Amino acid sequence: MSGSEYAVRTVDLWKIYEQEPAPVQAIRGVTLEVEKGDFVALAGPSGSGKSTLLNLLGGLTRPTRGEVWVAGKNIAELSERALSRLRLEKIGFVFQAYNLLPVLTARENAEFTLLLRGVPAEDRRRRIEALFRDIGIDGLEDRRPAKLSGGQQQRVAVARAVVGEPSIVLADEPTANLDSVTSAALLEVMERLNHQHGTTFIFATHDPRVMERSHRLIRLVDGAVDADIRQNVHGEAATT
Amino acid sequence: MSATEPAAAPQHGPTHPSPVGRWASWRRRTSTLVFLSARNVVRELRRSLLTSSAMAIGLALLVISRTIADGAHEDWIDSGVRLGAGHVAVQAPGYLTSGALADRLGPAQLSEAERALAAPDVAPRIEAAVERLSASGLAASAASSFPVQIDGVIPTRERQFSQLPEQVVDGRYLEDDDRLSAFIGVGLARRLELRPGSRFVLTSQNSESEIAGQLVRVAGTFRTGIPEVDDGLVQIPIETARTWLTAPGSATTIAVLLQSSRDVDGVVRALRARLDSVSGVRVLSWREASPELEAAVKIDDAGDYIFHGILFVIVGLAVLNAVLMSVLNRKREFGVLRALGLRRVETGAVVFGEGVLLTLASGAAGMILGFAITWIFWRNGLDLSGLMGGEMTMSGTLVDPVIVPAFRLSAMTQSLGFILVIGILASLYPAQQAMRIDVAEAMKFER
Repeated sequence: MSGSEYAVRTVDLWKIYEQEPAPVQAIRGVTLEVEKGDFVALAGPSGSGKSTLLNLLGGLTRPTRGEVWVAGKNIAELSERALSRLRLEKIGFVFQAYNLLPVLTARENAEFTLLLRGVPAEDRRRRIEALFRDIGIDGLEDRRPAKLSGGQQQRVAVARAVVGEPSIVLADEPTANLDSVTSAALLEVMERLNHQHGTTFIFATHDPRVMERSHRLIRLVDGAVDADIRQNVHGEAATT
Repeated sequence: MSATEPAAAPQHGPTHPSPVGRWASWRRRTSTLVFLSARNVVRELRRSLLTSSAMAIGLALLVISRTIADGAHEDWIDSGVRLGAGHVAVQAPGYLTSGALADRLGPAQLSEAERALAAPDVAPRIEAAVERLSASGLAASAASSFPVQIDGVIPTRERQFSQLPEQVVDGRYLEDDDRLSAFIGVGLARRLELRPGSRFVLTSQNSESEIAGQLVRVAGTFRTGIPEVDDGLVQIPIETARTWLTAPGSATTIAVLLQSSRDVDGVVRALRARLDSVSGVRVLSWREASPELEAAVKIDDAGDYIFHGILFVIVGLAVLNAVLMSVLNRKREFGVLRALGLRRVETGAVVFGEGVLLTLASGAAGMILGFAITWIFWRNGLDLSGLMGGEMTMSGTLVDPVIVPAFRLSAMTQSLGFILVIGILASLYPAQQAMRIDVAEAMKFER
């Protein structure tokens, strides 16, 4: 079955860590589809498998068994080289601690994947300027991460994740290190990108504000999907 | 199930690029990685400077030690060959081992050898060439007698070749029209209680195997500082020696002094090509004619190699430590690079690039520093007379306490090459460590 009508699709996905005294089943038979342009929150207590699932969706770790379809490709079967290429072209990441490259300026961080993909300089400049203006960090292009606030760094990280127009953006606790005002502003930015560009966002989060504003809330417990709730913009359940 | 199904084409670059496209992609990605490596080197400026300093000082020491060693060896070789049989010696085949008058070059062989030495590919590289007729014998005066080596020489040509004529202590050096004059070392003069004008008798076996004596008069005395020379060498005019030893028109050696010791192999080859067909002639390099001098140079070189080896280990460890520490402190950063789409090998390439850039910068700095210090020594000479205490000899040659470094392009290139190879090798392990980083593990902090 093709996964191309979905941004992401998993089929009976398992991740088992072999360790003493007993193997740990971090993800247990997860099957789900995420439509293109969706805004999805993965919720659940610590250790429920949110980050592991995110890593599996991003091809950062290999599943023990099962399928992960991203942009029409089962990434569980891709070679290391093909997987790197897929991450570069189809997947954007936003991390809790921003993880910008400290030796690069905000602009260089944001355009890093474009550089690797060979996007011409003029095109890069145009995209970065528009994006920085769009997410409210214009004028900060030449600053190094150390000279930016947490919120500004996370916006640059979002810019880096979306600038290449990926199929999905995977965000692991993107608001965990931010205060409530900055978190709200960042969420607005991501909602706008989702709305305007149709970028698919999948969050792993503990943050109730992120859960509220997501279109779909998938609750994980012990590595399995406990609840899958379609919500309206106010965070109220629409379908279950 | 297949890993690939129909999907939208990526926005940038074809899925299966042509060779030209692949080359452009490789070049683009490589330049991005080099850019990142360069920024990382500058990022930890203090650490990079410390590492670079260790490497640069290591290379500078290598340059200095090699130029000084080469300068010292040049000096040993120069004084050795001037006193001995030259950079290149033309002799009869058995003379090197027998040292006997029977193994001598006759007029025909001397004539062939002179013609070969005048050849256009040989003559310009020659500084001086002298014929010598040498024999072992006994010097006896009313006071005592002592075994000596007697060299029959052509005085004017010897002045161009040997330093001996300049080392007169008393009296004068030989002249071309001298017949019964002798130039002797101060040690021999003291033992035989001789001074300029004194007469003594030389006794040796002539070419007819008969013991023959020759009365000579001291023209002057010399001092080289080498006891075996000052005590045991007598020079007399070659024609006197030829008559006394019944070897008319003969010589035991044609000693050839070259403009540069680096020309030895080329001149030996050229002379052999011309003289190999001439019966009774053998061409020897100074290494063959003076194996003890060659051994001394090799032993000294071996000591240098040990020192260089220690330097290489220090430099290698400095790079390894700096780059490895940098990798271990940046595991999460490498995880991010992988997440952004860099392949394992490219992540390693960033680290490898850092090591290579550090090595190249250090190599350039080390060469400049090394050349600058060596230039000071080259201008003024490195005076080790305080360390040596007095005159020092090695393998029958006097060691000059003032060493003038010698630059050899091949040695300098080799030193730089060694340092670059060491730096590059030392970067491989940290690069491999960076390649092995597990992305999910590196990002674990996030969970």
